[in-house]
Amino acid sequence: MSPRLLALVPSAVAINLAIGFVVNQLGLPVYLDTVGTVLTSALAGPVAGVAVGLLSQSVRSLYEGFIWLPFGAVQVLIALLAVLAAARGGFRSLPRSIVWGLLVGLAAGLLSAAISFFVFKGVTATGVTAVTILLTRLGLTTGQAVTVSSIGTDLVDKTLVFALVGGILRALPARVAGRYDWALRALAR
Amino acid sequence: MTPARGLAQQAHPFTLFAITGAVALLAFILPPPGGPVALYAAVVVLALAAGVGRAAARALLVCLPLWILLFLLLAVFGTGPRSDLGVITVSRSGLDAALAQGARLGAVATASLALFASFDPSRFLDAVAARGWSFHAAYLLVATLQAAPRFRQRAAMILEAQRARGLRFGGNPVRRLRGLAPLTTPLVLGMLSEVDDRAMALETRGLDARVARTPLEPPADRIADRLIRRGLPLLVVAALAWRLFG
Repeated sequence: MSPRLLALVPSAVAINLAIGFVVNQLGLPVYLDTVGTVLTSALAGPVAGVAVGLLSQSVRSLYEGFIWLPFGAVQVLIALLAVLAAARGGFRSLPRSIVWGLLVGLAAGLLSAAISFFVFKGVTATGVTAVTILLTRLGLTTGQAVTVSSIGTDLVDKTLVFALVGGILRALPARVAGRYDWALRALAR
Repeated sequence: MTPARGLAQQAHPFTLFAITGAVALLAFILPPPGGPVALYAAVVVLALAAGVGRAAARALLVCLPLWILLFLLLAVFGTGPRSDLGVITVSRSGLDAALAQGARLGAVATASLALFASFDPSRFLDAVAARGWSFHAAYLLVATLQAAPRFRQRAAMILEAQRARGLRFGGNPVRRLRGLAPLTTPLVLGMLSEVDDRAMALETRGLDARVARTPLEPPADRIADRLIRRGLPLLVVAALAWRLFG
């Protein structure tokens, strides 16, 4: 890894964690804990993006217990799809970012649902689990309820993340973007 | 991050990672509900004996909401034959599943929070250097642990600064959502400009040099540490074999 990536990766992981604080302060019912992962994937490609995703989950797990470590697979999936989005110009405009956010949200939601159901018996974060319980009371099986609540949460969350990262990338001064090969491709500058 | 005193602090850094990894695997290998419950009890006793009892208390706080939700989803709203607990009736199989899953989460959370409570970044870097392993991976972990509180503090400063400039973040969710960009954009742009300075500093310190590093003060790797690290994989394999073929 180059010194630039060695400097970028820890900071991007810290961004993932710090945005959790911002979201808490704003009282928003989303996580936005993949902003650093998506940004790094778009700026520096798959190796750095996957490193940020895995490290984010590992450090979060160190703070809160390794129980959340299996969700590292979701971070890896998001990093790889963000690289694909960057390569296809997915951050060039707000509508493109929203469409890619929805696609990534769907994929991430399906994987999250599988992990939640098979590893955690459907009980993960408090908000999502509350929705799961509500849906089971409405007649859905636990598997269906976990899938619906995970996909619903991730669609909103990842759309916001992609819209936010797209806005940040488009606001990047050309001097800064020029230091990252993948950023130029993502923005088609 | 203040390292805890006691056995956990004296142990070799890799031993603590090995114990945490073995606990995570055993939690899912041992037969439910008795296996995970016994493992959780053993981990709590071990944490208390190693001087990181606070980690067990923190793990309780992490797990308590999950236990309540597990009880509700699997036992109270679960299907199958039911048992009367006096006030409510619960699904018998659901109660067993909730107990097993709750104990798994408790064991893994306690072990990992005990690892974090006794984690000393400089000892870990020295242990990696002494082995001649990739310094980059170890650097990434330690640099992240140091960057996380710094960025959180910076996010709090940006929040205060934007409030002082008149931005209001209350009200309905759409209005609160509008507060996201003014808070996150300066945080991220500041991070990217800081990356340049850090990259230059790392380059001048020779971090990309392909030479073996000399540890300043390598942690002692005692016989007990080596025995634990070699014995734990055997224990996990034995438990797996017992579960599959026993």
